[in-house]
Amino acid sequence: MSQGKTVLLIDDEQAFLEPLADALEYEGYRVLKARAADEAIKILATERVNLVTIDIMLDPGGDLASEVDSHSTGLYLCRYVRKNYPNIDAFCISVVSDQSTIMQIENLGIRFLRKGETPLRKVLNMLRSRLTGIAYSTDRSK
Amino acid sequence: MSQTDDPDITNRVKILEQENTHLREKIREIERERTEYLQNVSHQLVAPLNAIKWHIENMTEVRIGVERAKKVLKSIYSQATIAVHLAKNFNLMSNLETDHALNQLKEPLRDIDLKRLLINLANDFQPLAWDKEINIGVSDNRFDDGPSILAMRPLIGQVFSNIIENAVKYSNRKTNIIIEGHYKKESDSFVVDIRNRGIPLPEENQEEVFARGFRTAEAKRKYPAGTGFGLYIAKRIVEIHEGSVSAKSVDGWTVFKVTLTVKGLQGKARYVSGQDSPSD
Repeated sequence: MSQGKTVLLIDDEQAFLEPLADALEYEGYRVLKARAADEAIKILATERVNLVTIDIMLDPGGDLASEVDSHSTGLYLCRYVRKNYPNIDAFCISVVSDQSTIMQIENLGIRFLRKGETPLRKVLNMLRSRLTGIAYSTDRSK
Repeated sequence: MSQTDDPDITNRVKILEQENTHLREKIREIERERTEYLQNVSHQLVAPLNAIKWHIENMTEVRIGVERAKKVLKSIYSQATIAVHLAKNFNLMSNLETDHALNQLKEPLRDIDLKRLLINLANDFQPLAWDKEINIGVSDNRFDDGPSILAMRPLIGQVFSNIIENAVKYSNRKTNIIIEGHYKKESDSFVVDIRNRGIPLPEENQEEVFARGFRTAEAKRKYPAGTGFGLYIAKRIVEIHEGSVSAKSVDGWTVFKVTLTVKGLQGKARYVSGQDSPSD
């Protein structure tokens, strides 16, 4: 089902990173993790990635520190991915509630999911649907 | 001549209007700060609870082995530790803001074995520290046994919780947090050092790192989420106990030094002595 696909998770909160990585690995996906934006950019340049999840409030990392504000690092990454890797599917998974930021992300064609408040199963189904092209139900009874 | 033609009155009305406008702006500013504070509090408290929900979903819906399950349970424990720690801090914030509310902090004074307290706290925060492969150690040969200090235990516990949590948050991966304690006979006081290796504290921030809401530029850049309340609360509590707290970075280590006098609050009218609790 996973067909050797690779997912890059960009998040510095271990508490959210681990359960999502576990669940994806259990389904057979190769999971890469980046805790800062510069780390993510290096991985994107060297690895074949099929899907990326991006947190918003994130350490830009030493290379980007002077040009990116940590409160909107993810927005920078969303634009970066859209511009340089238009074929990679992207989701934004974050706790931000600022509607203007969310609109800017969705205007890039990137789906925004509220971290933690969106059930893990729903997040997984959405990622899986995008990776396989098959729709999955989020109904817990199934 | 009517009153409105009197230049004195016209001037006074103008001044009052300006003052009124200024006060309205100030109220709006305070309301904005209050809203931001409540949003921040809400976000900080909800985040670990949501993380716990994801961990539980992961455990119930993904087949994981016993070893992995143990690791997930440790993560749940560390998120619960954070949630409790933050809830205590937000509760204390309101009391520490005014002298009037300080009276509500009337906790019985107890003899506190600082070594035991710090070992318990280190154990509490160790699961959280493991996420970054950090070890928290209370140095056995560099932590003097006794004497115990007479203080308000829950508050002193929160002082060290806040400093340890701060050290875990800003430490580099795969480093050690070392806790030492020394009794100073000449001043009849106990000095606790908590050392970590991570974001250095610039010399110009050594004082303001304890100011309400302050976070260094580097801390904000690397870890955008945070309240800047923990060290402020620690300092206020230490001051109530007539002790002192300081911080500085030297040779790659950031050291927080807490000095508490052994009998600091004994005999002070506002406080009463209590029996040492078995959990101390």
